[in-house]
Amino acid sequence: MEIASLSQPSLKTQLRAVFVIARKDWKVFWRYPLNAVSNVFQPIIWITPVYFMGKAFSTNGQALGFAAYSGTGDYMSFILLGTVLSNFILTVFWGMGYALKQDMDAGVLESNWLTPVSRLLILVGRTLTSLLTTAITSLIMLIIAGALFGFKPTGNTLAAFLTAIPMLIGLYGFGFAFAGVVLLMREANTLIDVSSFLVQGLSGTSFPVQSLPAWLAPIALALPLTYGLDAVRGWLLNTQTILPLKVEIALLIVFMFVMLWFGSWVFYRVERRVRTLGTLGQH
Amino acid sequence: METSLAPRSLGRPGLGSDVRAFLAVVRREWTIFRRYPSWIIALFIWPLIFPMLYILTARALAGPDGSGLAIFMEMTGASDFIGYIVIGTTVWMWQNIVLWDIGFALRNEQMRGTLESNWLSPTWKFSYLLGPTGPQIVSMSMFIGITALEFGLMFGVRLNGSVWMILLMMLAAIPSIYGLGFAFASLIITVKEANAFVFLVRGLVMIFCGITFPISLLPGWMQSIAKWLPQTYLIHGMRAAAFSKAGIAELLPDLIPLLLFGAFWLVVGYSAFLWMERRARRTGAIGQY
Repeated sequence: MEIASLSQPSLKTQLRAVFVIARKDWKVFWRYPLNAVSNVFQPIIWITPVYFMGKAFSTNGQALGFAAYSGTGDYMSFILLGTVLSNFILTVFWGMGYALKQDMDAGVLESNWLTPVSRLLILVGRTLTSLLTTAITSLIMLIIAGALFGFKPTGNTLAAFLTAIPMLIGLYGFGFAFAGVVLLMREANTLIDVSSFLVQGLSGTSFPVQSLPAWLAPIALALPLTYGLDAVRGWLLNTQTILPLKVEIALLIVFMFVMLWFGSWVFYRVERRVRTLGTLGQH
Repeated sequence: METSLAPRSLGRPGLGSDVRAFLAVVRREWTIFRRYPSWIIALFIWPLIFPMLYILTARALAGPDGSGLAIFMEMTGASDFIGYIVIGTTVWMWQNIVLWDIGFALRNEQMRGTLESNWLSPTWKFSYLLGPTGPQIVSMSMFIGITALEFGLMFGVRLNGSVWMILLMMLAAIPSIYGLGFAFASLIITVKEANAFVFLVRGLVMIFCGITFPISLLPGWMQSIAKWLPQTYLIHGMRAAAFSKAGIAELLPDLIPLLLFGAFWLVVGYSAFLWMERRARRTGAIGQY
């Protein structure tokens, strides 16, 4: 059976290229198995200070103040869910922008760019392995953290999972726009680090956005991730949501399409400029 | 007698040439630091946003009426929960940045392909580690100063204690924080992929040193581990220095262990470096990517 060549681009060849990129990343990931272990334990390490800090605010083991904001005193289940979702957020942020930076530093970006593969598909391919490994490590993390801190989801798991899908797809739009900015700036770490941290923080991964000061609340409410996190918690922990669940899900679907379009538009504009300037090969 | 004002050549190693090499490394690191302006932006942003995550979580835990705050303040003895958290998180960031900057100083050179040729030069090898320390201490001092300024201006955090005592605590901590960085730099040249070790060390500080909570909340076995980490004493001492009238006498229970750990980690760091250098010459590891 003859394998269709990339010189005759088609859906099949494009998908084959995406698969090859994902397979390469899979091999590289497992080349450093300690990183997999680190991915499991890092989130647990980050939330441990919150666990003990929460005890300092609790009376008889009850975080009453937290319950007044969120509708649940089980702040660790609240935060663990946020942590799992933020793992995926980080995967998309780092997976795309940082992947381009790595290729720049290794000197292979320019040659990759010359191939007849859709640029956006290259970016998507660079995140596929990360998404899979994130799903695996997040599940293990949840099991361990649940044993250490307690995790009590009492709601509808399937509904929560389905709600998360448009949010994650919309994140790709963010990622595309970011990747474009990385191409232009050529130095990714600070930008991705700060941006992903702010987006995670303000969208309520560690606390209910209802507790934010008035001047920060509009920023949080403008982020589609806020509604994604809120809706998933609403399904799983029966917390009081910012808006009715159906409205939040509708918002997520709208944002998904808007972000995909906007992110692609930004990426292609920037990429054209970078090709015009001839800086694609520079780092 | 021939006199010359020409700089002493490295072909005749001595104290003068070693100092010149050290200063050259310092100048190089400072030039690299200034080359990527986004790092300077991070200098203003990270001091604010990293503690902010814990501060906002604390706000949520306190509740809409702030009733949880009274419980927290009674448990910690802190008069200002924002300042309490900022000090712990700033110490964590200091250690984290040193592990990445100093810890990866040699590894970065190895990845750029310049380490082997530098190693072949008759230069005092330790200057490659010591050199980046100077600009690093300067940038960290700016970082900590900006932290104090931002939280003072934006959140009204006030230091009721003595700035000199705070500086004394920080000076006492430099040997242990940077000694650990030197040990790391040597380990990373051997292990090559050492991100996980950085995550481990900074994770220990995060869990055991009470960055956002008093260590009295930890179970007994965790408190025992906390006593072996110099950052525990640094955080405790800086909080006492910043928010109470603690003088040297009151800070001694934190200063003495800090200085002892500092001596220990400097010895470990330098010994690790010498071990790495001997091993590298034997195995050729310096040139291996």
